[in-house]
Amino acid sequence: MSQSAVATSQAAPEICFDGVDLSLGGLEILKGIDLEIRRGEFICVIGPSGCGKTTMLRLIAGFHRATAGAVMHEGRAVNGPSPDIAIVFQDYGKALLPWRNAADNVALALEAMRVPKSQRADMITGFLGKVGLADHAQKFPSQMSGGMQQRLQIARALAQNPSVLLMDEPFGALDAMTRQTLQDECLNLVENMGTTVFFVTHDIEEAIYLGDRVVTLSPNPGRIADIHTVNLPRPRNQLTTREDPEFLRLRRVLFDFIQGH
Amino acid sequence: MSALLSMRGLLVPALLLLGAEVLVNAADLSSNNIAPPSAAFAALLRIMLDGTLFVSTGQTLLATAMGLAVGGSLGLVAGILLGLSRTASRLMTVSLEFFRPVPAVALIPISMLVFGFGYAMEVAVVAFAAFWPMLIYCKGAIEAVEPQLLEVAQMLRLSYFDTVRKIVLPAALPRIFVALRTATGIALILGVTTEILSNPQGLGFAVMSAQQSLHPDNMIANIFWLGVLGVVVNSGLLWLQSRLFGNAGRPGGGR
Amino acid sequence: MKRASNFLWFLGSVGVFALLLFGWHLIAQSGMVSRVYLAPPDKAFAAITNGFTGPNGLGSSMWATVQRMLYGWVLASMVGIVLGSIIGISAIARIYLQPMLEFLRPLPASAIVPLAIAFFGLSESMVLFVIAFGSFWPVLLAAVQGVSSVEPRLYEVARALNMSRRETIWKIALPNALPDIFAGMRIGLAVALVLTVVGEFVGGQNGLGLEILRASRQFQAPRMFGGVILLGVIGYSCAVIISNVERYLMRWRASR
Repeated sequence: MSQSAVATSQAAPEICFDGVDLSLGGLEILKGIDLEIRRGEFICVIGPSGCGKTTMLRLIAGFHRATAGAVMHEGRAVNGPSPDIAIVFQDYGKALLPWRNAADNVALALEAMRVPKSQRADMITGFLGKVGLADHAQKFPSQMSGGMQQRLQIARALAQNPSVLLMDEPFGALDAMTRQTLQDECLNLVENMGTTVFFVTHDIEEAIYLGDRVVTLSPNPGRIADIHTVNLPRPRNQLTTREDPEFLRLRRVLFDFIQGH
Repeated sequence: MSALLSMRGLLVPALLLLGAEVLVNAADLSSNNIAPPSAAFAALLRIMLDGTLFVSTGQTLLATAMGLAVGGSLGLVAGILLGLSRTASRLMTVSLEFFRPVPAVALIPISMLVFGFGYAMEVAVVAFAAFWPMLIYCKGAIEAVEPQLLEVAQMLRLSYFDTVRKIVLPAALPRIFVALRTATGIALILGVTTEILSNPQGLGFAVMSAQQSLHPDNMIANIFWLGVLGVVVNSGLLWLQSRLFGNAGRPGGGR
Repeated sequence: MKRASNFLWFLGSVGVFALLLFGWHLIAQSGMVSRVYLAPPDKAFAAITNGFTGPNGLGSSMWATVQRMLYGWVLASMVGIVLGSIIGISAIARIYLQPMLEFLRPLPASAIVPLAIAFFGLSESMVLFVIAFGSFWPVLLAAVQGVSSVEPRLYEVARALNMSRRETIWKIALPNALPDIFAGMRIGLAVALVLTVVGEFVGGQNGLGLEILRASRQFQAPRMFGGVILLGVIGYSCAVIISNVERYLMRWRASR
């Protein structure tokens, strides 16, 4: 991953925040955001609640327009949602169609992409296989555990074949064991597909474990406090990475930052 | 209620009334069968001023209220008992499934045979109709009481009677009120229907006799008044519900 | 084990029902209540079964009632679903129409009978109109509610996928409304049965309602009770059928 990131670093950044301000309903949410995200990079954003993490994500998604400055995707201003940018929401229970089974939930993305019906079945099997749900294609979300539902949401996002994956605290509602498993699976997937990831979390360790860089936001109005490069070797490992002195050092720094707010 | 009074919400009905007025007058439909809104409005004023409207309204409301009192309280007691005792509820399953689907209107001829015309026959039909929703909803209300509350009662070693009185009933009260609201709506419908079909009193009869004596203005005025009555009763109970219980008991609320 | 005990409970509840029938029988036998009003259960059931399929039997009346009820209900459901979806989707339509709908909803549907007579006379169409008018409201309001109460997150999913408005309505709003629409149709069917009987009483149309009315005028209590029981059978069958269809179509819902 880091290799491909270096190789394309000369081209336009995948995502670029250029002096972005955002006010919603007269309230200043984000102020002076400057950030460049390289192709294939895994960016994690943390910060106290209400600091505008999710709002940054929604700006990239095209759900909000910047009040000042611009958000660029591959050199062009974002002015609305695009299938090239996929989102994985935290509340999987609300973001899946309860009346469609797993296969048909993935199909929703393919239908929206106008993939011909004849090609869909194989693709669906492929995407479900990637997230380990091959045997559960006929299950409805109500019959799946939280972890499986979140895997399904990831499969639907992958089916969009996105260049950018936005993840809004995707593992926040899962138990610790499931969360670690999904973290590793998620890293594997995006590394193989070369997807750029913008990952919002409130979990410091998760941010370090996953990210190439960790962006910290401070609130009122939300602005970038610092950007930390994570110098940890890939592939990451739940045991060795988390015991690495660099991991512990960063954890301390970020912990102090969060405590300070 | 505020939505009801919004200007934009009044626009469509106003246009429809205007259209009806123009159409009935222009096509000269104004016969023994149908009257333009203006004539109906005049008729409404007339029956308000001579008091007949209020007499028939009183008769309808009285019969409905008595039927609701009889059927509703029986349904309330039965619903609470069945809600409290799983044994009783299981033993009554077949019987309830047998009697419940009988439409109350089908009993009107029987009730007429037994009681003749007057309040008694109407009250009997209304009571039967109000009994079922009250029973079903109250049973549901009791069964929906949080099991943890019952565990609290056990922990505190409350007697059975105290558990029901201090825990179960207060917890179920908001939903029981919803049951009352539903039963009231059904009671009013059945009261009016009984009057339309046979009982010579009340608003239903006023509507029917106006039609039969070829006074369409009078008929439409009475139908309109029934609509007003329905809205007033319904929103009055809704107001009372939110006043008494806030959002509890509404769908999705009170959790 | 569980099944066996469930079956025992069922038997017990059949036993209670038999006791109730026996009580009914005793009361009827004792003469406490005049035979003119109260037929004993065996006579009532005999009135149903005697020549059920014959020219004078209750079978043809029952069939007429069922048909009439279904026609009115299907008509009401189709119009209700289409109109309700349109109103549910369009916020503007809601602003203009909802207050009027709220006014018409609590209006006792039977109050429309005289108006329907004025327009259609004492005819089959009058009865159908009344049935359709009454069962239309629950379906309409349920469809409005279901279509307009989509989880906002799902609309974001649709936007993120660049789905067209048409696609969003078809794939998200309407399926989302399905449980509500079904609940509305279930209520609508119960209303349809009631209004079928009302319509038959008033309009003199052949059916169980008219049978009951005639029997009461001729003091034929067994036939009267037979008719009432058959109406109950119709109501019960409808409820069972519709809840099974509902369970199948809504099998994606978390088991309740």
